[in-house]
Amino acid sequence: MKKFVKMPKLSANMETGVVVAWNKKPGDSVKKGDVIFEVETDKVVSEVESVEDGVLAEVLCEEGDEVKVDATVAVLECEE
Amino acid sequence: MEKKPQWLKVNYNSEAVEEVNNILAKLKLNTVCKEANCPNLGECYKKRTATFMILGNVCTRHCGFCNVSKGCVQAVDPQEPQNLAEAAKELGLKHVVITSVTRDDLKDGGAKHFADTIEAVRILNPEITIEVLIPDFKGVAENLDIVIDARPDVINHNLETVKSLYAEVRPEADYERSLFVLKYVKKKAPQILTKTGIMVGLGESAEEVYELMDDCLAVGCDIFTIGQYLRPSSRHIEVKEYVTPEKFAEYKRIGEAKGFKYVASGPLVRSSYKAEEALNYNTLRG
Repeated sequence: MKKFVKMPKLSANMETGVVVAWNKKPGDSVKKGDVIFEVETDKVVSEVESVEDGVLAEVLCEEGDEVKVDATVAVLECEE
Repeated sequence: MEKKPQWLKVNYNSEAVEEVNNILAKLKLNTVCKEANCPNLGECYKKRTATFMILGNVCTRHCGFCNVSKGCVQAVDPQEPQNLAEAAKELGLKHVVITSVTRDDLKDGGAKHFADTIEAVRILNPEITIEVLIPDFKGVAENLDIVIDARPDVINHNLETVKSLYAEVRPEADYERSLFVLKYVKKKAPQILTKTGIMVGLGESAEEVYELMDDCLAVGCDIFTIGQYLRPSSRHIEVKEYVTPEKFAEYKRIGEAKGFKYVASGPLVRSSYKAEEALNYNTLRG
């Protein structure tokens, strides 16, 4: 089953975030709590953890891309 | 957006954050974590801890470093003390930190509301330790007395920055008045731990930081915190310097040598961050 990984709203006034690193690549297995990607905000770089177990199926943006909050950045393939 | 040094990295788990947000929303509570856009929010919420912010989420001052909203103040919620007590219980907190916006519009500055909150928390959570991070109440002793008489375990009042930067960073505050707050609390209730915190990276020199430490020790301050100023938005003061972890370690070493009972020092340290550690350390030392 596909689960969509979204750009999180890391602060109340956040509208976009810059993806600065992918810690996993397509095909990698992901456990709940693993850091999937890193986002730069006004203040710091946030390591965003996965909330699911699965396999990273697809990455939809590149390092350096500025992405709107709630937009899908990756797809996880999870067990039912 | 400015590129950040590699040591300014934090953790974020959306499930854990949502769980805490749900409790807060249910009880109509604010946190300074959210309102000030604290970088540690992800880590703290994951541990099911937060620093509550009472008296609304709109502040009557206009400090240049702070993300908290300014503008039309909100009515004080009489249910807030009880709601906060319930949140502390639901989160299973052993140590609760309560701060507020500054309410210069209220006659007592919100002191009674602080006292009511301390009381409500204690009734519902008898074993809990309580730390309040207070505004200066304009230095009015009667208002400070109201908070002191509620007997929190720790009274924190932040100096925020060195004296020379007050006009830019904290224009409506006063360095000497803030020192007076710490002095007054310690004199009135020596058993209450006093605490202060500053941000660095605003253009201060190390010598100014050491002078500030001496000023705080002279008024009996027990606990000192020091963290990196991070600019919430382009409307706020620029970061003048990203102070290195090595420099923070030196500030800690010197602060402890000067005589603080406990110093928390690091880029991501905030005055309420892991606040229970200072209390545990102090208890262990006896």
